Amino acid sequence: MNAHPSGYHKVLLDINLTTGEIKKIPIPQEDIEHFVGGRGLGMKILWDRLKKPGIDALSPENPLMFMPGPFSGFPIPSASRTVVVTKSPATSPDTSPYPHASTVSYSNIGGFLGPEIRFAGYDGIVISGKAPTPSYIVIEDDRVEIRDAKPFWGMKTDAFDKTLVKELNNKRFQTCYIGPAGENLVSYACILHTTARAAGRGVGAVMGSKNLKAIAVKGTGMPNVADLKAFNNSLSDVRGVFKGLTGGLLTGFWRESGTAAVLQMMSDDGLMAVKNYREGTFAEIEKINAKVAREKAWVRDFACYCCCLACKKSGAVKDGPYKTIVHDGPEYETGVMFGANLMISDFNGLMKAIYDGDDLGMDIISAGNVIGFLMEAHEKGYVTKADLDGIDLTWGNVDAVLLIIDKISRRDGIGDLAAQGVKAVSKQVGRNSEQFAIHVKGLELAAHNIHANPPRALCYATSNRGACHLSGDNIAHQNFVAAVDSLGLCLFASDHNKWMLPGISKRKIANLLTAITGIEWDADKFIEAGERVFNLEKMFNLREGFTREDDQLPDRFFAEPFTMGPEKGARLDRQEFTELMDKFYAERNWNPKTTRPTDEKLKQLNLEFTI
Amino acid sequence: MKGNSTASSHQPQTLIDGKPVSRREFISRLALGGGALVLLSGCSRWALPGSGAKDREKIYEFIAVDYSKCTGCRTCEAVCASANNPVSVDGRMMPGPGNPALSNIYVHSFNPDVSAPAVCASCADIPCVNACPVDPDPATGRRALFREAKWGGITNDPERCISCGSCVDACGADSVGILAQHPETGRPMRMCTLCDGDPECVRHCPYDALSMIRVTADHPYYRMSPEEIAEKLSNRWYDLSV
Repeated sequence: MNAHPSGYHKVLLDINLTTGEIKKIPIPQEDIEHFVGGRGLGMKILWDRLKKPGIDALSPENPLMFMPGPFSGFPIPSASRTVVVTKSPATSPDTSPYPHASTVSYSNIGGFLGPEIRFAGYDGIVISGKAPTPSYIVIEDDRVEIRDAKPFWGMKTDAFDKTLVKELNNKRFQTCYIGPAGENLVSYACILHTTARAAGRGVGAVMGSKNLKAIAVKGTGMPNVADLKAFNNSLSDVRGVFKGLTGGLLTGFWRESGTAAVLQMMSDDGLMAVKNYREGTFAEIEKINAKVAREKAWVRDFACYCCCLACKKSGAVKDGPYKTIVHDGPEYETGVMFGANLMISDFNGLMKAIYDGDDLGMDIISAGNVIGFLMEAHEKGYVTKADLDGIDLTWGNVDAVLLIIDKISRRDGIGDLAAQGVKAVSKQVGRNSEQFAIHVKGLELAAHNIHANPPRALCYATSNRGACHLSGDNIAHQNFVAAVDSLGLCLFASDHNKWMLPGISKRKIANLLTAITGIEWDADKFIEAGERVFNLEKMFNLREGFTREDDQLPDRFFAEPFTMGPEKGARLDRQEFTELMDKFYAERNWNPKTTRPTDEKLKQLNLEFTI
Repeated sequence: MKGNSTASSHQPQTLIDGKPVSRREFISRLALGGGALVLLSGCSRWALPGSGAKDREKIYEFIAVDYSKCTGCRTCEAVCASANNPVSVDGRMMPGPGNPALSNIYVHSFNPDVSAPAVCASCADIPCVNACPVDPDPATGRRALFREAKWGGITNDPERCISCGSCVDACGADSVGILAQHPETGRPMRMCTLCDGDPECVRHCPYDALSMIRVTADHPYYRMSPEEIAEKLSNRWYDLSV
């Protein structure tokens, strides 16, 4: 049909901000077949680019990658995701020969960015180096420019989003950018797209370290399809997954309330991060749940590229001191981390805090976790009000949260310490505070509590980017997630949760992938690609010096049972958890002592180059 | 509203379920969840010409948007591009892969969140056609841009088009501003074809935000630019201006 009937452009856009050199570089066919795209292909490039351990994540050498996948750009339902891949600025091992050792990092962002990168003619953007002065990148098909961002440096994301549209003078550009948190290298800074969709877990700090304020991309092309007839048939089949028997759409709770739908359920089931993970149930959840959001704030539903789920809401604060705030309103993570975890039940205050967190460009998961820790340390008398620059950081105090996140974004006073993440704060606070510093490998846990959820505990402990609630609760799930993350497809549109929600099965995914790429894929081969990606990430982390000691959870989950709610008395059992982990390593063919994959496993997965 | 707006001079009447309502009431109903009205009252008949409709305001079909339902997902762009840019495979034409740059419907998204799909309004007074400087063909009376008879869609005759862009300018000045010059040929693009009466965008919109209906010039938001629409909706929804 065309020159590259493969579903790929087979081209990466390679930009060196130090030299200003812009190149198109080919992607080896073998990497496409083994690592697919997105998270997988990004990890392979990360491995190739960082040839030795201990390279500082905030140094010019660390590549920052924006990786769509082979589904991106096609009108496949929810094929809207872009994975930002880089070396993590947020994680660290307990001990390592390398001072800047850290894990891989990847963060998955929805919206329209990944498809547009493919329309512009690229399967990914790889940015290295450091611009001499604040800069932004404009990509319009073949034309790529590095422009001056000095006038915009320091701007918060909402205002910058509006300014950049005017500056570009064309609404068809898709943009992503950092706020003050990223500029000031807050270890959990975000990269934002459309002011509310965020790639978190620290990738914004890497962007800031490169003096890169924004990327704008616009394209007019399209990757080709290997077998258009099979593609059209598969596409109809996949669209049918979301169609009800009597017409209308099957969208589960996504359409109704997005992830906020589960705020009430998770609290009711004792699975929520409450009061710095001390409890699993929030007594005041009725004041901040989806029902309240719908009544008080939400105005409309919004969707990512070609998605029929529309889990994004838009809303406005309609009364009180924060009137005029226009923003998404709580999702599950933001609603818990700035809500229940800080004992905040003032809905409008929660909206304001979420707006400010996004506006400053920080990961609300980590920010809520760090602030929860400081509130607890303050309550216990480990830190004084004077240590907190006079901020009355007590449970439920919205104004104190607004003050401290502003300080974090500017790294002012206590904000400078808090900007380094909960592991660093706990180290400074000392005493036994590491018991309630809720992180794994230095990355803060998300809004899912685990006293009563051992599989999710394993998920956090074994995730390759540090504590992550989406890494997968078991081996099959981990492999599946890694594979889906490599497609450009949204996990929410897959059937990962098939007993509750409609979704696309791995068989249907494989059919689409075969039609698009012309490479024969089936469900097993697809899952094996996920296993390959997960193992490559593991090998990267091992090379940095991470050991089994780093797959540890904070003591709180073992030592302090819930005192209330349906799971009252629940805690993790250390013996049982160790056995669960032993079993996990054995089933993965990883050495239980060192957690290193066996050479046989690596060879089986075509990962000989890591041995 | 641009160009031939009459909204400020009088209050045209629109019928909903046979009951006349003022334009102002109508707009507010539509934006406050009036999407249901479109469905309940029968898509093609809900906006009949007012009593003052003149002959030249002949009714044409066009793709109407219920902005309260649109989520900005751009499925319409992809399916429009697929259907209107078919690809030949083994001698058979089939829908293309769906490059949104080739779509005739364009979704404009704003901050704060408003998504306003722009699509050819099938204007009764055809400013684009009237701006065409090519002499009418003596046999057909057609310029290089003309309205085809069956669905009333605006059509370009590539043989006679001189790629001057006058139609594009006229659309921008007097109507939605959807027309654009093809980057290579310079000929106008993004005229809605109505997909021969069964528009793909309407069929595939996951949110039932689009419908093919007959309109007159007093249809709310008719011929407004996406920017004007976004400003009005943003003010209403969020109590702010864009």
